[in-house]
Amino acid sequence: MTALPGSIAVEEALLLLKIAFLVLLYLFIWRIVRTAARDLRLPQESFVLAPGSIPGLGGEAPHIEAGKIVVVKSPALTEGDEWDLDASPLTFGRSSQNDVELKRDEYASSSHARLEPRRDGVWLEDIGSTNGTYLNGIRLTRPKRLTAGDIVRIGETELRYEA
Amino acid sequence: MSLRNRELANLIVVGMLTAIGFASVYIARQAVVSTGSLAYAGFFFALYLAAHLVSRLTVPNADPYLLPMAALLTAVGLTEIYRLDPTDAFRQGLWIVVAVGALAATLFLLHRDYRRLESYKYLFGLAAIGLLVLPALPVFGQSINGARLWIHFGSLQFQPGEIAKVLLIVFLAGYLREKREVLAQGRLKDFGPLLVIWGGAMLVLVETNDLGSALLYFGIFLAMLYVATGRLAYVLIGGVLFVGGAAGAYKLIGHVRTRVEIWIDPWPHIHTSGYQITQSLYSISNGGFGGAGLGKGTFTTTNGATLIPSANTDFIYSAIAQELGLVGAAALLLVFMLFIARGMKVAMLADDGFSKLLAAGLTFSFALQTFIIVGGILRMIPLTGVTLPFVSYGGSSVVANFVLLAGLLLISNRSNAPAR
Repeated sequence: MTALPGSIAVEEALLLLKIAFLVLLYLFIWRIVRTAARDLRLPQESFVLAPGSIPGLGGEAPHIEAGKIVVVKSPALTEGDEWDLDASPLTFGRSSQNDVELKRDEYASSSHARLEPRRDGVWLEDIGSTNGTYLNGIRLTRPKRLTAGDIVRIGETELRYEA
Repeated sequence: MSLRNRELANLIVVGMLTAIGFASVYIARQAVVSTGSLAYAGFFFALYLAAHLVSRLTVPNADPYLLPMAALLTAVGLTEIYRLDPTDAFRQGLWIVVAVGALAATLFLLHRDYRRLESYKYLFGLAAIGLLVLPALPVFGQSINGARLWIHFGSLQFQPGEIAKVLLIVFLAGYLREKREVLAQGRLKDFGPLLVIWGGAMLVLVETNDLGSALLYFGIFLAMLYVATGRLAYVLIGGVLFVGGAAGAYKLIGHVRTRVEIWIDPWPHIHTSGYQITQSLYSISNGGFGGAGLGKGTFTTTNGATLIPSANTDFIYSAIAQELGLVGAAALLLVFMLFIARGMKVAMLADDGFSKLLAAGLTFSFALQTFIIVGGILRMIPLTGVTLPFVSYGGSSVVANFVLLAGLLLISNRSNAPAR
């Protein structure tokens, strides 16, 4: 009689350990899936290199003409609208304080990005947005100079820079 | 919660999992194993805490899930290896120490700027080819299960292909970053590199009789070529070339033909060439939905003979499937998928071509290797012996995969870093 309860306890302990192991394993997976799902809600990136996206290789003659910016697609602006760039910077964002107001773009921050014409060209800079500013599909980590044909994405708004 | 604290929290969950796993093996196999099994869990946790401290010091902004997922896979592997053979587990434990050392060394050496590797790309390419050729040399080479993949120095065995894979990816990232604009135009003469690599893969196949490695290297190349150029045509043409080459190998090489025959129908060969795969299938089905429980699976006959040859390397997935069942085996695959998803995310966020290519190449090699071995075990594709990353027993594999992990951590650290 002494051996029997003992062996039952072992079986039960093993079953409990197995269940604990599997529950913990799925808990771990759940923790990671939760963040991965959060990432999915952000605008998607590509891991394929876009043509001409290599930084530092667009070393053509500096643009003194500031050029213009054209709306490619946007939930907030009309397609094909244009802004001519002159000496003063252009700010983008959801609040009405901005030069270009992106009122209905839910992914844009209240003040999102700035285009600044300088002597060596037009520079794009993220000004503390939540979802980031993308140049040709690549998230900006520091200000970058635009070259003609570059696609800038702010929230769900896509803009093309034309020299 | 900061990124590194999140990493620590996840590692604590992994530590708890390891403790439960070893406790279960200990209770189920008291007759065979000692209380030392519990020390494994403690030792393992300390080791990953050390890796965590290194990541705090060198890559504070890196993805917080990669290291815990690698730790989890290694822990599940080590538990299963321990359950199959405690002496192997001891050796594997030592290899994991070496691997974490390699991870730390890679992080310390390269955390300022790993991109300087790009200027040594041809050196990496040559080293990779050298390592790949090594097993074919008569002095060092050793043939195991019909495939020449090993070198030996005295009693030490080493599979250089695993390290060569990582070096090759560094080379390809540098090379394709430089040539991508030419390659993207897709003129006929630009197919040269594709044909050269295809020839190389076929040579590997013929020389080493190893369809898995040939598929792995060629697949890595095609994937990185696609990332560099965005041209699907390369992938399609490459795929057709590979299938053609493989069909030729089927006609000409007996070893390859056997592998395909036992894939299509292993049962007539159950006592000969199909023995391993059929035993593995029995093992998986024995696990059922919930599994036998860690330490309670059947891997030997009543008189002590081993049922599945190399259960702790190529076939570890079927051993785990028996003890943890469909629920556990599916969870393990989910962890692999999440690791791949995080890796691809690192590639997406990287802001220069070299980093993007490197991250995508490393992640894809990990994904393809997992697919080749798990797919082989489940009889989705012909079985070829490659290791299951992080899980399988084997020193070179563990070290190579930790270096791969270090690479992904470095790249994600760079792209997540606050604007400079």
